[in-house]
Amino acid sequence: MRNDWAIRKLQFVVLFRVFWMRVVDLELLSRDADPSRLAQQFGTIFVTISIFFSLPVLLSGGGHLSLSGEWTGEHFFIETTMTIAGLITVLNWDSAFPDRRDVLVLAPLPVRPSTLLLAKISALFAAPALAMIAFNLFIGLAWPLLFISGSGGFFGALRAWPAYWFTIFLGGVFFVFTILTVQGIAANLLPRQLFLRLSALLQAGTLCLLLSVYFLEPSLESPASLTAPQNQRLLAWLPSYWFLGLFHQLNGSMHPALAPLVRRAWTGLALSTLGAGSALLLSYFRMLPKIIEQPDILPGARAVPWSPHLGNSLQGAITLFSLRTLLRSSQHRMILSFYLGIGLAIVIGYSQTRFAGLVPVKGGVSTTFLLASILMMILAVLAIRVVASIPISLPANWIFRVTEVRPAHLYQRAVRFSWLALGVTPILLILFGAFLASYPWPQVLGHLVTMLFLGMLLVELSLYTFQKIPFTCSYLPGKANIHLVFWACLLFFIRLLKDGANFESRMLGRRMSCILMILFLAVVAAGTRWLAKVNMNPAKELEFEEEIPAVIVSLRLN
Amino acid sequence: MLELRNIHKRYSSIPAVEAVSFTARAGEITGYLGANGSGKSTTMKMITGLIEPSSGEILFEGRPIRDDLMAYRQRMGYVPEEPHLYSHLSGMEYLEMVSQLRNMERKTASERIHGLLRLFGLYSDRDVSISCYSKGMRQKVLLSAALMHNPDLILLDEPFSGLDVGSSMILRSLIEELARRGKVVLFSSHELETVERICSHVIILHRGKIVADDSIESLRTLMELPTLEGIFAELAVEQDSAKISREIADLIHA
Repeated sequence: MRNDWAIRKLQFVVLFRVFWMRVVDLELLSRDADPSRLAQQFGTIFVTISIFFSLPVLLSGGGHLSLSGEWTGEHFFIETTMTIAGLITVLNWDSAFPDRRDVLVLAPLPVRPSTLLLAKISALFAAPALAMIAFNLFIGLAWPLLFISGSGGFFGALRAWPAYWFTIFLGGVFFVFTILTVQGIAANLLPRQLFLRLSALLQAGTLCLLLSVYFLEPSLESPASLTAPQNQRLLAWLPSYWFLGLFHQLNGSMHPALAPLVRRAWTGLALSTLGAGSALLLSYFRMLPKIIEQPDILPGARAVPWSPHLGNSLQGAITLFSLRTLLRSSQHRMILSFYLGIGLAIVIGYSQTRFAGLVPVKGGVSTTFLLASILMMILAVLAIRVVASIPISLPANWIFRVTEVRPAHLYQRAVRFSWLALGVTPILLILFGAFLASYPWPQVLGHLVTMLFLGMLLVELSLYTFQKIPFTCSYLPGKANIHLVFWACLLFFIRLLKDGANFESRMLGRRMSCILMILFLAVVAAGTRWLAKVNMNPAKELEFEEEIPAVIVSLRLN
Repeated sequence: MLELRNIHKRYSSIPAVEAVSFTARAGEITGYLGANGSGKSTTMKMITGLIEPSSGEILFEGRPIRDDLMAYRQRMGYVPEEPHLYSHLSGMEYLEMVSQLRNMERKTASERIHGLLRLFGLYSDRDVSISCYSKGMRQKVLLSAALMHNPDLILLDEPFSGLDVGSSMILRSLIEELARRGKVVLFSSHELETVERICSHVIILHRGKIVADDSIESLRTLMELPTLEGIFAELAVEQDSAKISREIADLIHA
């Protein structure tokens, strides 16, 4: 007979595996997909970024790099690690607390609530912890060499490494615990049905807050900025600076200006631990019985009856299906908000920095606004393309298969229509509202037409390899990497976009040049559409299952 | 008329359906029976065009369905075994989407959707998300989606699943009425009593092969068994159910 401890350990391991796998929604994946590949893909991205950031230190041997008396490096890595931990926790939002499925499956089994709780917490922390480790794999080895305190030497290095790793771990834990506390408070205070409805909004709000703080928070890394009285109120709300102080305390490089921040870090950590602990305990002892008592058939969440005429019947069906999926699926909404949130944050941050060096052209459209609109258009179309490849309720896609009563090219036309309606049109409307009040209408018109053709070009490029209905095809991790390339080259793209915005600003100032620019874009968009049409196999049916392309490797023996 | 000629389906060389041939005629209700894993749903999926047979031919009104799959799909209505629906849509939104995908005329579609929702007792919940529907309500949405375009071929895979007594009675009469109006109805179910009551002709599948294809009356006479359950047990149930139940009880008791 196994003893109680061995049984609990076995139960913990089994439950941990079950909860850990929830990080990826397995129902979305193609039958050929390897779920661990998705995790590896994310891990590889973080490790690559880590190598990239470590290169300056590794190539210079550390000795030639000076940090100019500011704590920019320390702060940047602490803040980035904390944000990564926070983002992963937000993405795992629905798996933080037990749901109805957990309760119905596990409640009849002889599993102690404490084992369940421990397995859930461990699984919850595993994903952010792995992401933090992957991101700091090389950074955490190379950069602490530059953070050694004045009294330095070998013992300084011995202290800087654990100080760095301990700080980023505590910073990550603080964000994870704070997010759990917010979610736990809402779950315990609000009626269950109301919480379930507001949960998605809360999740999107937390994501926006994390991204906005990361991209928009001011640079206060110098001792002068940290001690300036006018910055104190702001610093009280910026946790990354609290942990910058904590790092210096642990590293032995403490500056008096950091003392209040260190206090905040410890206090914040204690409060978030208390909050998260209470929220988790309450959720298990208060929420579980509520979930069990919940009726099988819930009182209806009513949708607003709205069926507008949009194009022909197929275009209407696909556009409305896409719109409703984007509005009602928290997973898809999160990815969309992630792209648009980052775009918005970059735009706001860019327009505020002097580094941008973009000043309004006299009597013309500000290049900053042009840059903002180009970036938002690109991100909107890219986000729609990325989110459309992630399915919703995959087993339900049989209805699209049995109702496939038109040739595939008509479906592609309908998908094009839906992407123009949902990706390009809202951006054009926002731009129209924002620009009309500020600039002369001929330039506004010129810019809007330019943006329309840019949007059409981007949609055509996105459709080039997309012979499917949005949200209905299984997902094969690692197949489409366009978005990864985009993010990896973001800084380079922004530089290009800045040149593009300057070019457009000059063109908009002269009527003939503006017409030529628009004509050029229109021709390129039409050419891409023609190419997509030629590329499309008319005999091919729509794809509903992503498959690994069969690769035949020639041995070149003949 | 729906005709299957020597249909085979293999999954990685494992046969799921072997040499299946039968005919389902207009105006008749053809029962398609078999134990779990006998290949019923695979056959249904091949008839809908969802999966392709490894060999053999499926004909509808004398023409192979693969010759013009799109035209064939316009004339077919299908209720799958599992009630997989887009649960983020309301019942009304789902049916509207299906009508648009089927290229139905808007006014006709609207009238039929409202009518079906009313007749199936879903009208008051038409704008409620499907995620809040019971299994029976989902089944009614599936039935509405399968029938709203007035198909000539109706494929029903476990259509009574989750329906309450009242709804089951309505569906039973509906299937009979549709057959009377000249539709081809292929009906798969484990509810042998219902099959016995409404089907004029049954096909029994065992391990992917047809073991019986005749009218219930002829089968009764031929096999000298009074009920369809007896016929089915004789042809498609290998195990001795009393012996297995004793063994299960012994196993958990040990």
